[in-house]
Amino acid sequence: MLGQCRSCPGTWLRGDLGLLAPVLLAARGPPTSPAAALTMAIEKEKKTCGQLMAEWREFVWNPRTHQFMGRTGTSWALILLFYLVFYGFLTALFTLTMWVMLQTVDPYIPKYQDRLSVPGMMIRPKTDTLDVTFNVSNTETWDDYVKMLNDFLEPYNDSIQVATNDVCRPGRYNEQPDNGVLNYPKRACQFNRTSLGNCSGLSDPSHYGYADGRPCILIKMNRVINFFAGANQTMNVTCAAKKEEDAQKLGEMAMFPPGGHIDLMYFPYYGKKVHVNYTQPIVAVKFLNPEANMDHNVECKINAANIATTDERDKFAGRVAFKIRVNRD
Amino acid sequence: SSPQDQYELYAVEMEKQDDGAMDVKIKKKKTTKAAKKKEKLENMKKEMDVDDHQLSVEDLELKYQTSVSKGLNSTWAGEILLRDGPNELKPPKGTPEYVKFARQLAGGLQCLMWVAAAICLIAFGIQCGQGDLTSADNLYLAIALIAVVVVTGCFGYYQEFKSTNIIASFKNLVPQQATVIRDGDKFQINANQLVVGDLVEIKGGDRVPADIRIITSQGCKVDNSSLTGESEPQTRAPECTHESPLETRNIAFFSTMCLEGTATGIIVNTGDRTIIGRIASLASGVENEKTPIAIEIEHFVDIIAGLAIFFGGTFFVVAMVIGYPFLKAMVFFMAIVVAYVPIRLWAVFQVCLSLTAKRLARKNCVVKNLEAVETLGSTSVICSDKTGTLTQNRMTVSHLWFDNQIHTADTTEDQSGQSFDQSSETWRALCKIVSLCNRAFFKSGQDNVPVPKRIVIGDASETALLKFSEITLGNVMEYRERYKKACEIPFNSTNKFQVTIHELEDPRDPRYLLVMKGAPERILERCATIMIKGQELPLDEQWKEAFQTAYMDLGGLGERVLGFCHLYLDPVQFPRGFSFDSEEMNFPTSGLCFAGLISMIDPPRATVPDAVMKCRTAGIRVIMVTGDHPITAKAIAASVGIISEGSETVEDIASRMRIPVEQVNKWEARACVVNGGQLKDMESEDLVEILKMHPEMVFARTSPQQKLIIVESCQKLGAIVAVTGDGVNDSPALKKADIGVAMGIAGSDAAKNAADMILLDDNFASIVTGVEQGRLIFDNLKKSIAYTLTKNIPELTPYLIYITVSVPLPLGCITILFIELCTDIFPSVSLAYEKAESDIMHLKPRNPRRDRLGDVALAVYSYFQIGAIQSFAGFTDYFTAMAQEGWFPLLCVGLRAQWENDHLQDVQDSYGQEWTFGQRLYQEYTCYTVFFISIEMCQILDVLIRKTRRLSVFQQGFFRNKILVIAIVFQLCLGCFLCYCPGMPNIFNFMPIRFQWWLVPLPFGILIFVYDEIRKLGVRRHPGSWWDKELYY
Repeated sequence: MLGQCRSCPGTWLRGDLGLLAPVLLAARGPPTSPAAALTMAIEKEKKTCGQLMAEWREFVWNPRTHQFMGRTGTSWALILLFYLVFYGFLTALFTLTMWVMLQTVDPYIPKYQDRLSVPGMMIRPKTDTLDVTFNVSNTETWDDYVKMLNDFLEPYNDSIQVATNDVCRPGRYNEQPDNGVLNYPKRACQFNRTSLGNCSGLSDPSHYGYADGRPCILIKMNRVINFFAGANQTMNVTCAAKKEEDAQKLGEMAMFPPGGHIDLMYFPYYGKKVHVNYTQPIVAVKFLNPEANMDHNVECKINAANIATTDERDKFAGRVAFKIRVNRD
Repeated sequence: SSPQDQYELYAVEMEKQDDGAMDVKIKKKKTTKAAKKKEKLENMKKEMDVDDHQLSVEDLELKYQTSVSKGLNSTWAGEILLRDGPNELKPPKGTPEYVKFARQLAGGLQCLMWVAAAICLIAFGIQCGQGDLTSADNLYLAIALIAVVVVTGCFGYYQEFKSTNIIASFKNLVPQQATVIRDGDKFQINANQLVVGDLVEIKGGDRVPADIRIITSQGCKVDNSSLTGESEPQTRAPECTHESPLETRNIAFFSTMCLEGTATGIIVNTGDRTIIGRIASLASGVENEKTPIAIEIEHFVDIIAGLAIFFGGTFFVVAMVIGYPFLKAMVFFMAIVVAYVPIRLWAVFQVCLSLTAKRLARKNCVVKNLEAVETLGSTSVICSDKTGTLTQNRMTVSHLWFDNQIHTADTTEDQSGQSFDQSSETWRALCKIVSLCNRAFFKSGQDNVPVPKRIVIGDASETALLKFSEITLGNVMEYRERYKKACEIPFNSTNKFQVTIHELEDPRDPRYLLVMKGAPERILERCATIMIKGQELPLDEQWKEAFQTAYMDLGGLGERVLGFCHLYLDPVQFPRGFSFDSEEMNFPTSGLCFAGLISMIDPPRATVPDAVMKCRTAGIRVIMVTGDHPITAKAIAASVGIISEGSETVEDIASRMRIPVEQVNKWEARACVVNGGQLKDMESEDLVEILKMHPEMVFARTSPQQKLIIVESCQKLGAIVAVTGDGVNDSPALKKADIGVAMGIAGSDAAKNAADMILLDDNFASIVTGVEQGRLIFDNLKKSIAYTLTKNIPELTPYLIYITVSVPLPLGCITILFIELCTDIFPSVSLAYEKAESDIMHLKPRNPRRDRLGDVALAVYSYFQIGAIQSFAGFTDYFTAMAQEGWFPLLCVGLRAQWENDHLQDVQDSYGQEWTFGQRLYQEYTCYTVFFISIEMCQILDVLIRKTRRLSVFQQGFFRNKILVIAIVFQLCLGCFLCYCPGMPNIFNFMPIRFQWWLVPLPFGILIFVYDEIRKLGVRRHPGSWWDKELYY
């Protein structure tokens, strides 16, 4: 169809707009509509550009019949009214079904957690590509990281924690069952910033170690409602170079809290509406002596009885891989 | 595929008669063609310089190592057969197979797909280049697209291949027979087994099996019209009359028709080396024109593809403006195109059409060109042959006159009709004459074959009489042996009678019996007495008048009448052992005793009147075009209903009102019989006028060229014309017709080549079946298209919402491909099995200008109404699945950037839980699956509503179309398989979904059903209303 009148510049236009005719709801146009004109074109071979343009113009506005795009004003009004009613009804039905559906969804507990059997892990500072690169002597390169960490650790300040959260017994889950009566809001356990030691950033002239080339990275485990991490056993986070042969270059690491330990008392999580002041447990890792001016691929993972870290498809299930690079002049 | 060219060629050859320089003429015409052909022609010219016609019989025998009395030695013939190949025209060399295949891969849509696949591959390549190996989606998509193109290409190719194959297999089905003499014995063999040097016999009604040099001839005349266009029969005789082989009388050409007489000859050329073969091979390689349905489909696909590109382009621009990278925008573009283009529409068409073709093949209509099935459905005029198509193509005894009474014989094909009283003595005498005075005989070894089907060697009338007496009397062959033949004078055109003299059965009776048959008036002249009820009465004026009345009555029925008489010779004058001399005629040939008249006709096929009636109710005009006599033509036309009861011609009115023909108001005459002579003097406007004036037309004594004119005139009136034909020269008419129907048995290869359809049983009723099926398939294709189009919208809207509202992608490309190419194929094809909604044979033929296959109303209804409902269903299910997994609808809006960031491993959902990218990806796949299932569920309801366009589905019956039910079950099973088969998530992005998500789209499905029922109700109740106009498709 398009090839037939390639020589005519108006054809493309006509063709395309003709194709649009159904979109514009111009059903059953008169014989002068482009659709019909197309038929004629097939039957009568080529027409001149002028004729095509005239036909097209007549289709857009036919002064004889007062038809715009193949329909008169009344016709347009009727068909638009019809579609208004039709889509109005459809939208209403859609809204109704959505409303019914939302009624069936509990605002506090998700209906299904099919995808969340293994919590993911993430690092702070969060960069676009999980890549922490900075120059020790150039403050600007790590300023953002420090700021990010400061912001992130703000709620962990001991003062805030003491004010809002309970001191819980370590080593056991902080279960707060409803037992027939709603037990909202639920209390959260304290996680004090000071427990992060050298990585707490408190009165730290080295700015989490970024100023002296021994950076801290915070590792957190994703929140999953009603997930009993560790299956009642202790768990901890360990980090290592991705390739064993690079371990030497990466150097020593220090974990805070000691051993990268995560206590059971921070679980389970009850959801953001109920567990208002929930403080996510974090582990900080400080690279004590990473070799400068090279990429270090690091992988941290959680060692817990009920968290598999071997999922081939999801590289962040129970583990996190990131890159650090400390540049020195 | 080449008749057009052939026609041109013939046209030239017709001209040649003015100057006789055939070779030169052809050359002149063809010089305009490619040089290759010119060269070929030079070769042909050279080859045509055969001298076989100038050789003496002895030289000929020497040249071909044959004998004009005994024929070839069969072993030697076998060797020649091995050397020269079978005596048949090689099918014209078509386009090479790989070109055909390549063409299937390079159509407009296919090119689009290739481009899409290329974009995918580039995208994948760039991804790889960036070291991102997380997702091979683009690669999968590219592979899927290429697979689609290749698979549909293979499918199309297979279809094409199969339809060619049908023709090929069909050719073997009805081999032409030839009488050949080898080793001195007569054989009937397949004509393709003939070799150069074979001695063959031809007789009236035979097709000349090869190029033959005539050796002996008795009044042999051939119809060279297929070769030269001369419609006058041409005499063939042993003498060489012209130095050009084309002009001389002693060569009969392959595939021409022997009209009368007999001849023997030596084959000088076989197969492609015959004159016709050479012409045919020249004329090969011309493409067929597009059928209406092909134009329709292409036009439709173009619209859709144009829309797809338009939409894709718009969103490409939108995506670029929103700030997507170019490549991503390109992938959007492509995804939209993939979603929008009904990739497999063509395949569905092909399947639907081939299903119908298969159904037709079972009813003896072989459709050469799939699209012709539909053309047949829109036919409004059928120009039908008489002989063989409307009639049984066998002379049959229909009436007898004896004892001064006309008796009616049984003419039905299966002898199921009434017989007449056979107790009269006269009948016995007549029967004896019929059996004895007959040279025809059954081919041996057919004792188990029912009499009407037995093969007889003999001319048409004698065959009819032989079969008649075999049926009424019993074993004629044995009967003849009992009455030993003593002398015989065969029928010839000067005497117009045939005489045999027999000994009597009873050895004690020494008399001879002379039996004679012939033209009634000649027989009567020779009779002195007439037998009435076994008594010989003198043949006085009164009896003569009775005879005349009977003769006129039978003749008026368009029947061929023969008279029969006998005489017991005086035993004294002609004792046993008397030597009768057929040359001298030393026996009495007058003063005989008249026994009766027998009339024969080629009776109409039993199914034809009904079929003609059906055509009439279906608004199709049946016009008879025949070469036969007007009286016979009119009689048959009246008996099959082409001229309906009570219709009169101008002549009928004139004779009824006893006024001159000129005074009759021509508009009063519904029927009209025009013969070829009148037609010759007519201007084409006059013909159109006549066609307009008389609804019931019969053209008699027409030449093939006139047939073409008739077809053209019908087309001038805006009709879609179907033409039946069998001769080579019908091929222009067949070609000119919108649908050419060739006869399978009587048809020549040229006719079959030119035709779009072949009737294996040469039966007119099959055409009607074809029309019915054609109309049905048009309706069903429309339904199929509507079904196929609908889901384009729910496939498209996810992208639109994804791009504009930035929700996580609800439906992936690969999933769309699965809908398009996997789950929805079977249901859309199953609609082809849908029964007709109403009696489609009571409707007028479709108007090809107005009633189009894919019209705007259909697209609008499918896209903006049903498609819209399906989209809503999909989104409801999508949001349900998202919400139940933790992502509330409002959160989804604008989520895309975070959702798709593969470095972000802790995106929070509505409950504060954090998701890694992998988890989100699987959730996205779940959405794809959920959306997929929604479309499937709605499509099940969609296919149910598409069963009818006007009737309620309850009226049509839910489960009557078993295939459709199976298709739905199959679709469900396939959906389950895709969802729940292990490994699917990582291969095709299908996730096992929860059961209730299957049910979420159901309210919308029910809405589709209820809404469509309301629509149909409105359409039925208020025809012509606004509702009907806007919502009926």
